[in-house]
Amino acid sequence: MTPARLAFLLLAAPLASAGATACFLRRRGRAAAALSVGVAALILAGALWLGFSGVRFEADREWLSLGGLVVSFGFKFDDLAALMLVIVALVGFCVHVFSLGYMSGDAAKARYFAGLSVFMFSMTGIVLADNLFMMFIFWELVGFSSWLLINHWHERPAACAAAKKAFITNRVGDFGFLLGILMCYWIRGTVNLTDLAVQTSSGFASYSRAIPLLLFCGAIGKSAQLPLQVWLPDAMEGPTPVSALIHAATMVAAGIYMLCRIQVLMVPQALDVIAWVGTATALYGALCAVTQRDIKKVLAYSTISQLGYMVAAFGLGSVEHRLESGEIVLVAAGVGAAMFHLTTHAFFKALLFLGSGSVIHGCSHEQDIFRMGGLARRMRFTFVTFTVAVAAIVGLPFFAGFFSKEAILALAFSRNRAIFAVLAFTAGLTAFYMLRLWRLAFLGRPRSDSAEHAHEGGFSMRAPLAVLAALAAAGGFTTLYPRALAGIVDWALEPEGAARVAVLSTSLAVLVAGGALALILYSSAAIGRAGAAAADNFLRDPLESGFPVIFGALVTLRDSFDTAYGYYIEKVQQRFAMLLNFVDLLGIGGLMRSLAGLVGLTGLQARALHVGRLNVYVFWFLAGVAVLWAFAAGIL
Amino acid sequence: MIAATLNAYLGLSAVLFAIGFLGVLLRRNALVIFMGLELMLVAATLALVAFSRFNATMDGDVFVFFILTVAAAEVAVGLAIVVALFRRSGTIQVNELDSLKN
Repeated sequence: MTPARLAFLLLAAPLASAGATACFLRRRGRAAAALSVGVAALILAGALWLGFSGVRFEADREWLSLGGLVVSFGFKFDDLAALMLVIVALVGFCVHVFSLGYMSGDAAKARYFAGLSVFMFSMTGIVLADNLFMMFIFWELVGFSSWLLINHWHERPAACAAAKKAFITNRVGDFGFLLGILMCYWIRGTVNLTDLAVQTSSGFASYSRAIPLLLFCGAIGKSAQLPLQVWLPDAMEGPTPVSALIHAATMVAAGIYMLCRIQVLMVPQALDVIAWVGTATALYGALCAVTQRDIKKVLAYSTISQLGYMVAAFGLGSVEHRLESGEIVLVAAGVGAAMFHLTTHAFFKALLFLGSGSVIHGCSHEQDIFRMGGLARRMRFTFVTFTVAVAAIVGLPFFAGFFSKEAILALAFSRNRAIFAVLAFTAGLTAFYMLRLWRLAFLGRPRSDSAEHAHEGGFSMRAPLAVLAALAAAGGFTTLYPRALAGIVDWALEPEGAARVAVLSTSLAVLVAGGALALILYSSAAIGRAGAAAADNFLRDPLESGFPVIFGALVTLRDSFDTAYGYYIEKVQQRFAMLLNFVDLLGIGGLMRSLAGLVGLTGLQARALHVGRLNVYVFWFLAGVAVLWAFAAGIL
Repeated sequence: MIAATLNAYLGLSAVLFAIGFLGVLLRRNALVIFMGLELMLVAATLALVAFSRFNATMDGDVFVFFILTVAAAEVAVGLAIVVALFRRSGTIQVNELDSLKN
């Protein structure tokens, strides 16, 4: 089998699985789950072989031909795609296996696993796509599967609302993406990634700021960057494994991957915008995560923040400068750092989400971290793996996140000190909210009955945690990567000398400061005091009772976007829609209605002629003859 | 014996036609209406024969052959319908046959 055929098989298998489930296995949850997990295993095997064997290929077929526009269906399997495919397959397989345990009691298991298969199909399509049109198609398909899976428990109104919000918010970004693709086709004459790279390297003179920025709109929606980040926290209404796979590790990272794919279209001004959007998002996500009580929402805001890191990294290190000839020198450091962090983030964030799934499952669907506590003794396995993930995300030395975050900070340090300061502060916040979560959920005394009776999940839930924990612990050592995959990651900047010392000392300082602050603020005594101070004995956040101004400001900041969008939709868009509706009723509707009325009136009169008596019809006949005669005689 | 002119034939034909038409128009009995219809056909036939005779051509006569054939078929079908109508509703008074309207 040629590599291209294998890639096609990897794309087609999950679609076939989803189709078979939809047609034959709707009521057989067990069989559907087995099929879906089997396909995920096949994808993993295929991806590992394709990735590690070092085959790189491009293949395409003409798919649609509309006049001059030819849309091809093709694969571009380079180092970037190989790395992404391995991540998707690995995390996807872990999540499939975890779902076996987590969703074992679910009534609609078949639909759930079919949804996962649709997702694997769409995501593989994005990774392999060799042109922007094809990528856009699969881009929309992941949006669809995300909608399907957020909406899994569709009897909950909150889940329905969240699914709609996610889909509609993504549509806003995707509109920009589509415009960018069309503009790229208009100006460059092609949307094939390889052709675009060839054009850029041969000094193609066209220099457009709009194309990269419009394409970036797609990433803003999909990767939950400011100002379209509002959908991701709500998307936590879906099952937790879905949050791990789609809303943490892979789909939301597709925006970063897409940026890396279109790196050849980038220009310095666009990259500045991208870097600042990413930085602002990183800070915003971290600030919002601080006040959350829901374990999954903390992780969701943390995802937003980490995605901001990746976007900032990409924006910071992709274009060196523009030469006199108009040629742009592309630098891969940004791609390297962004993809490196994407990789480690996929591992530790999937682990965090699956760990939180294990916690939620163990605590009989309790999600409030203030109602947990003391889980370290009751869920020892989850505790150990979750601790590894926390160590990785806060950047404890020698865990995965440490290296990738250092790569980003080093890049920021060498390019833009302001961004460096913001990102370093964000790293401190990350340490703060992650240790807060860890401290509240796992240490101390249990603060509710469900935490008291927490229990560990079965083997299918523990095995993925172990695999991901190993990856989150060791994922930062690029020397351990197989040669075939290390290529991209090695592009990341290695800080040297004084810069290295500065970056390292800063990241360690903020880590210690943020972590220590969290451990002091959320000590058992402080939680007890805050709880006692509240009249209703409701477990209060010590931050809320101790520093109400800061807490209030953070909550306002978190809600500001939803408030603003709510205001816009209610006061502006709704009114405009009503105006349009009025115009429609009056103008178009009025015209149609009067036409219909005319026809009706004619019919009414014609009906009056129809009396049902033969003799009367003969009279009409006679009258008709008379009129005819009058015409013939020229009287009328 | 006075040789009849074309106008006399045409006048007779018109009178016959008018009688037939008034029969269709005014009578309520389906059989009588049917007879009125036949009378109108015969009036037309008479006019055609007269034209044929006075123009010394066969055109009108050919028409007449067709009209006779069609009229024979029409009578067969029409009478059958009248009989069926009577069996079904017990009347052939057309003012009572108004089920299409009511």
